[in-house]
Amino acid sequence: MSRDSVSKAYRAQIIDRRWLSPTTFELGLRRPSAFIFQAGQFIRFRRDDITEIMERDYSLIVAPSDPDIRLLVRDTAAGGYSTFLGKTEIGTALEFMGPLGYFTYQSDARPAVFVATGTGIAPFVSMARSGISGFVLLHGVQTAVDLYYEAFFRRLALRYVPCLSITTDASSPRDAFHGRVTVFLADRLPPGRYDFYLSGRREMIRDATLIIDDRFSGSRVYSEIFY
Amino acid sequence: MKIYTGGGDRGKTSLFSGERVGKSDDRVEAYGEIDELNAILGVVTASLPVDQNRIREEIHDIQKDLMIIGALLATTPDAPHFGTLERIGRDRIRDLESAMDRMELELPPLKSFILPGGSMPAAWTHVARTICRRAERRIIRVGEQGMINIELEAVQNLLIYINRLSDYLFMLARYCNRVDGVPDIQWKG
Repeated sequence: MSRDSVSKAYRAQIIDRRWLSPTTFELGLRRPSAFIFQAGQFIRFRRDDITEIMERDYSLIVAPSDPDIRLLVRDTAAGGYSTFLGKTEIGTALEFMGPLGYFTYQSDARPAVFVATGTGIAPFVSMARSGISGFVLLHGVQTAVDLYYEAFFRRLALRYVPCLSITTDASSPRDAFHGRVTVFLADRLPPGRYDFYLSGRREMIRDATLIIDDRFSGSRVYSEIFY
Repeated sequence: MKIYTGGGDRGKTSLFSGERVGKSDDRVEAYGEIDELNAILGVVTASLPVDQNRIREEIHDIQKDLMIIGALLATTPDAPHFGTLERIGRDRIRDLESAMDRMELELPPLKSFILPGGSMPAAWTHVARTICRRAERRIIRVGEQGMINIELEAVQNLLIYINRLSDYLFMLARYCNRVDGVPDIQWKG
């Protein structure tokens, strides 16, 4: 619905792959010169097999001004498209559609609260790399190994809250919140009017939205379902 | 694209501009009417004879316009990104007027009121016309409540477009009957 970007088909070569954890990696693609996007948007890969047409969406984690495209991919080892992206040779050209989505930052006087689970952190990486700062970020993961970009966000966020839902170990940050992001929202975030940006699991978005209705009346909610 | 979150299970929904409002909110009602109009235009398209590609394309363009209108109505005027949204330009209003002028040339003069009906596409188009008028009333209501700023050119164009669209749909219903060789049903009160 924005006048700023129109989705088109592009072709881009894989230029590198950088693993952030045993299951998650950044995929670098050479940026087509005509490809323009806004921080928070995603691209869509499409693969036509004999038996099915598969479409998979991945958020961009670079700033719109960056020279290349980078994506955050979690390989669930289920043999799907993410596994394909994790194994495909560097130099392979991929076709994609983009940019897509409306999950973009709306600057406003209200404090912004970014809430992510897992790789749902991706659009916030793009926003932060675009120069957005001063936000509160809750990043919900199972264990500390999945706190991708921790150091990056500690520099830029007004407050960075790692939320560990399952286990704690020696590598867990000392200031980690032990519980889901929704529990933090319900119990710890001070009452007020915020602009909430929710990105990640469907269940988190549902629960967070209902908590916001109850506790943070008058706030705005923008959301992006990842999986 | 994932569709459901469940965030609306307790009767609230998020506007495009992020505010949480009740699903019975007049603004939601207004863009809901636009959604209903868009859906019924899908029915009109599906019922058209296969050779009516020009009309099919016109309706397809109108459906895209209605998506833009829905987004505008779902965004509060003071929202940060209101200014970046697509708008309905005067060119789209002129397109509707040109289409009406074109159809009028092929239609017999209207000498009395007609009853909605005739061929299947014509009957559905009359339904679409009444939904369009209802949508217009809802939009004006939210304007009267100050929920949209009718001083803005984008909103003025939107209102003109919806008004013109009802006229277009009236004309299209008659045109559909003409294409199918079905005479208008005259009202003899």
